[in-house]
Amino acid sequence: MSQVIFFIAAIGVISGAVGVVMLRNPFYAVLALVAHLLSLAVLFLLLRAEFVAAIQVVIYAGAVMVLYVFVVAYVGDQTQPLGERIGAPGAVGSRLRLGGLLLAGALVVELLIALLGTGLQAIDGKGAGYTPGPQAFGTPAYIGKLLLTRFLLAFEVASFLLLIAAVGGVVLARRRHGLDEQEEEDLLVPMDLLRPGSAGTMAEGVGRR
Amino acid sequence: MTAAAPLAIVGYYEPWWIQIIKAIVIFAVGLQLVPVVLIAERKLLGRFQGRYGPNRVGPYGALQPLADILKLLTKEQFRPTTSVGFLFALAPTISILTAVAAFAIIPFGDTQDIFGTKVGLYGLDVSIGPLYLFAFGAVAFYGIMLGGWSSGSKYSFLGAMRGAAQLISYEVSQGLALVGVIFTAQTLSLTGIVTAQKGMWYFIPQFFGFLVFLVAGFAETNRAPFDLTEADAELVGGYNTEFGGGRFASYYFAEYLNVLVVSGIVTTVFLGGWLLPFGIHPPGWVDPIVVLLKMSLITFLFIWVRATLPRLRYDQLMSFGWKVLLPLATLNTLVTAIVVVATH
Repeated sequence: MSQVIFFIAAIGVISGAVGVVMLRNPFYAVLALVAHLLSLAVLFLLLRAEFVAAIQVVIYAGAVMVLYVFVVAYVGDQTQPLGERIGAPGAVGSRLRLGGLLLAGALVVELLIALLGTGLQAIDGKGAGYTPGPQAFGTPAYIGKLLLTRFLLAFEVASFLLLIAAVGGVVLARRRHGLDEQEEEDLLVPMDLLRPGSAGTMAEGVGRR
Repeated sequence: MTAAAPLAIVGYYEPWWIQIIKAIVIFAVGLQLVPVVLIAERKLLGRFQGRYGPNRVGPYGALQPLADILKLLTKEQFRPTTSVGFLFALAPTISILTAVAAFAIIPFGDTQDIFGTKVGLYGLDVSIGPLYLFAFGAVAFYGIMLGGWSSGSKYSFLGAMRGAAQLISYEVSQGLALVGVIFTAQTLSLTGIVTAQKGMWYFIPQFFGFLVFLVAGFAETNRAPFDLTEADAELVGGYNTEFGGGRFASYYFAEYLNVLVVSGIVTTVFLGGWLLPFGIHPPGWVDPIVVLLKMSLITFLFIWVRATLPRLRYDQLMSFGWKVLLPLATLNTLVTAIVVVATH
C-alpha cells in the first residue's frame, strides 16, 4: 500500500517539477508547482512527518503559491509565453542561455557531491524506528521540543531574519507610491462632487481623509 | 498496519474495515446534512424577512432542496467558449473534495465499543488537529481561484481575485484564534481539546478567540457579510457566474458543507463538543445528538447574520481583517500564553 502511494506521489512530484520548467504558460507553470508541492506533502506523510506535511500545504501551497497565482493571473498574459526572451536571437538571448547553462552545471556538481558524499550510504539503511504515540517522531510535540531546546538559536535567528524581511518589504513598498498627493487630489475631487452627501468615499476607506 | 493510518496517532489502530465504514458514513452524513441546512436557511430567511419561504414542494416545502438538486443535476453541462476546459471541470471537484475531507476531523463523540471493537466517532483524530483543517482550507482556495480564472469571464475573475485576497487575510486570524485554545488544552488533537473542556467550555476563558474564530469563519466560508467573492449586486455571481447544473451544485454543496465544518469546529473547540454542562453524563449514543444540536445552533447564527448584516465594502473587509481581527487574535494569543505560563 505505502509503495503504491509512494510511486503515485513520486510521479506527481517529478512531473510537477518538470512541468514548472517546461510549460510555456506561466499560469500553468505555477499550477504545476502547486501539484509538485502537494505531492511532496504526501511523501512527507509517508515518512511519518505529518506536521511537516501539513505545514508544507498550509505555507507553501496555501500562502506562498496563492501570491504567485495572484500575480501571474493579474500580470501574466497568455499571449506572451515566457520562453520568448530566452529563445530570442541576439545578445540578450545568448547571454541568458549561457548563464542558465552555467547555473545548471553548478547545481549538477553540487547535487553529485551531496549524493556521493552521504546520500548513497543512506539507501541501504532502514531509517529511524517508529513507535506511535503522542510524543513520537514527527509529531508537533516532538518538533516543538527540538525547536525550543536543541535548535533554539537557529530557530530564533531564522525568525529574526523573517521579521527583518517583512519589515524591509513594508519599508520598500512605502517608498514607491503611485500618484503624488496633488495629482490624486485632482482625480478624487470630481468623484466627490458626484456622490450623494450620505455616501462614503473610497479615499475615506483607505484612510486618506 | 504500517501504511494503513499514517495520520492517526490515537492510542490504538482501528481495523481497516472500520475505517472504510467510517469514511462512507461520514460522507453520507455530510451529504444528508446539506439539504437540511439548505431548507432551514431558506425557511428562516423567509421568516426573517416577513414572508413564508418555500412552501410548495412537499409538506411545508420540506422537499424543496431535493427538487433543486434534481433540477441542477439533470441540467445540460455547458461551458463558455472562453473557458479553459479541464480546469473548469476540475475546480468544483477540488471544492467539494476539500470540504468533505475537512468534515472528517469533526469528532461526534468519544470512542465507543461497537461489536467489541473500539471505534472513535470521528473520521480521524490527527496529531496535527487544526492544521489538517487549515491544510484543506488552503487547497480549497484553488477550487474558487481556478473556477474563477478558468471561466474566462471578467466577473468570475474579479470574484476569484477577491476570494484569494480574502482567504489569505482571514486564514491568519483564524489560525491565531485557535492558538489560545491549544495553549490552554496543551494538545492539538481535537478529541483531546474536547476532553480538556470537562471543567469549563473554552468559549468563556477564550471569549475573544471564540469571537475572532467565528468572524474569520464567516469570511472563510464566503458567507454574508463577507460574501464579496460572489457579491451578486456587483459581480453577477462572482467566481461561479459561468457555472451551471451539476458543477454549480458542487460549489453550492461545498459552501454549505464548509458552513457545517466551521460550525463543527466551533462546537468542538469552544462549546465543549459532546460534553454537557453541570456534569451530566449521558450514555454514549447521545454524544452525536449533542454535537449536532450545538452545530445547528452555530449554523442558525450563520443564517441569522446573513439575514441581518449588509455586505461590507471591499476596502472595509481588508482593513477589518488586518487592522482589527489580526491584532485582536495576536493579543489574545499573547495574554493566554502569559496566563498559561504563570499558572503552571
